Amino acid sequence: MLPSGVLTTRYESDIGILRTKTQWLLLVAALAFLFSIALFVSDFWLTWLTRVAIAIVAVLGLHILTGLCGQFSIGHMAFLGVGAYTVAVLTNNYGLSGWVCLPIAGLAAGLVGLFFGLPCFRLKGFYLAISTLAASFIIVWLMEHFEWHNADGLPVGGHIGLPMARLTLGGVDFHESKGVFYCLAVGVMLIATFFAKNIQRTRTGRAFVAIRDNELAAEISGISLFRYKMLAFFIGCFYAGIAGWLWAYSLRSVNPLQFQLYDSIWLFGMLIIGGIGSTTGVFFGVVSFRLLEQLIDYIRPPLENAFPGVALQLNVALSLGVFSVVLLVFLILEPRGLYSRWEKFRTYYRLYPYAYMRE
Amino acid sequence: MDTFLGAFLEGILIGGLYALLALGLVVIYKSSKVFNIAHGEIMVFLAYFMVFLVSSQDLPVALSFILVILAGMVVGLASERIFLRPLIGKPMLITFMVCLFLGILIRSITIMWHGGVPEALSIFPAGNLAIGSISLSQTLVWSFVIALAMFLIFVLFFRYTKTGLGMRCVAEDHQTSQSLGIDVKRVFALSWAIGGMMAAMGGVLLGSLTLVDTDTLGIWALIRALPVLLLGGLESIPGALVGGLTIGLAEIMASTYIDPHIDGFRQLLPFILIVIILIIRPHGLFGLKRIERV
Repeated sequence: MLPSGVLTTRYESDIGILRTKTQWLLLVAALAFLFSIALFVSDFWLTWLTRVAIAIVAVLGLHILTGLCGQFSIGHMAFLGVGAYTVAVLTNNYGLSGWVCLPIAGLAAGLVGLFFGLPCFRLKGFYLAISTLAASFIIVWLMEHFEWHNADGLPVGGHIGLPMARLTLGGVDFHESKGVFYCLAVGVMLIATFFAKNIQRTRTGRAFVAIRDNELAAEISGISLFRYKMLAFFIGCFYAGIAGWLWAYSLRSVNPLQFQLYDSIWLFGMLIIGGIGSTTGVFFGVVSFRLLEQLIDYIRPPLENAFPGVALQLNVALSLGVFSVVLLVFLILEPRGLYSRWEKFRTYYRLYPYAYMRE
Repeated sequence: MDTFLGAFLEGILIGGLYALLALGLVVIYKSSKVFNIAHGEIMVFLAYFMVFLVSSQDLPVALSFILVILAGMVVGLASERIFLRPLIGKPMLITFMVCLFLGILIRSITIMWHGGVPEALSIFPAGNLAIGSISLSQTLVWSFVIALAMFLIFVLFFRYTKTGLGMRCVAEDHQTSQSLGIDVKRVFALSWAIGGMMAAMGGVLLGSLTLVDTDTLGIWALIRALPVLLLGGLESIPGALVGGLTIGLAEIMASTYIDPHIDGFRQLLPFILIVIILIIRPHGLFGLKRIERV
């Protein structure tokens, strides 16, 4: 719903994402804020923000795959791992530049995603979830079982994982400070958001939504189910690969422990909290999930002091328990996520004080 | 030859256990179309409960086994009433996700309670049983016997008792059953109670076979039950038995003949099977092939 008094006079303005001067102003202010935040926030929160940005890229891929096309994947973190390992292996063993690896990481993850998406030709929903679950285990198993020796004779790969070289461009070293890398991550995130937002408005995106809403109707309208489902898998996993590239460089090392099934489940959880089917929801979901994570870290030490008998267990069990309860509550009480709340609030705000106008 | 025969028997024995694991999932799926992926974690929880009763409380094994089965019923009923009842009629994926998070919740409770320390659970006499030149672990043989007995009891239950027939009726069609006077909600609750009992037995038997461990037992059981279910078909009870024996055999054969060449292949095999079955025959050998009409 548009603010009162905004009228469309041209077709271009009718399809625009941003339609008023205020919206443009807000966008510029938000961008300026996002990048300048690197100057005055502590290193701890910069690391946190970088993780948020990377997770947003990954969850955007999941959003295209699940939110738009309705194909479920609970092995997304493994696809992210494929991207991360691609860049790690290519830079370590073949000496490729990190920047060349950016598209290759995306492509590699996309192709692996295509392979595990193949069953979607015949399967729906639940069976597909099982297939991606298997994908997660197979990919992690492969990561754990390939070992070799690098130029210095040190064992790499396997459980140890791989180190990452520094990422540089011209004279800029992206690992010089947290702020520089943060800006890179946010830049990638913004581009990813731009594309994700626009995919929804193209023929492809509409085909995805049609498949999600009713496969039979979509097929009868002339949408090739197989082609578009595979495309959704490719794009979703391509995003995961890009996120994996960022992930590898942000941690400066990759190992199989980073891409476990639980991480995939949490990525899906972020999508559920935010609300399946909207780009804004992805932002809500990731930020609130990561904030919850911080909150758990914050309340754990006092809890450990209060109950010294279970201090060791709390370390693992607290986050598992809190996340699962939160997600259960969302699934049972608000399956449309935070985004639907936001939508309600926005409508209320725009109509205030004429609430009855909504009907 | 002895290697082969030993592996063959071991595969059959472990397959019977897999069939029991899968049966717990089939019962719930048949009646309420909920895929209870929390089964593995419920199993671990109950296996720890068994350890608690046997080791800490010094109760006799038979009594604690009965208590654990009762506890399994309670856990199943509670899960159904609290988490799944509000979701009746929702798409299967929502219930699947709820079960996934329910499993994680139960896992966190187990870790809080027992600290995630692996425990040994020995309820069967130790040592091996020798048949000719082949020796088999006694635990494995007893587990197989119990698993098969339970399996038979449930097959008879579904075939000859009124409640069992009602449950099969609900599996066919919810509305028709309701209009025939079968309380569908009660059947859902009952199927979860049976699922919980299966989890109790599976947890104790598997736990005595390996270790009771939060990190491995639940996921181990689940990733074995999945190919069994997919192969046999999600709705089929005989399918669970055939699938269980096949997968058990395939796994032991692979671990005997392929593991020496490719390290850790045994762990990978279930997933390869899942992907192959999903691509070739997604509804399984005995499952229902859904036909969609406009």
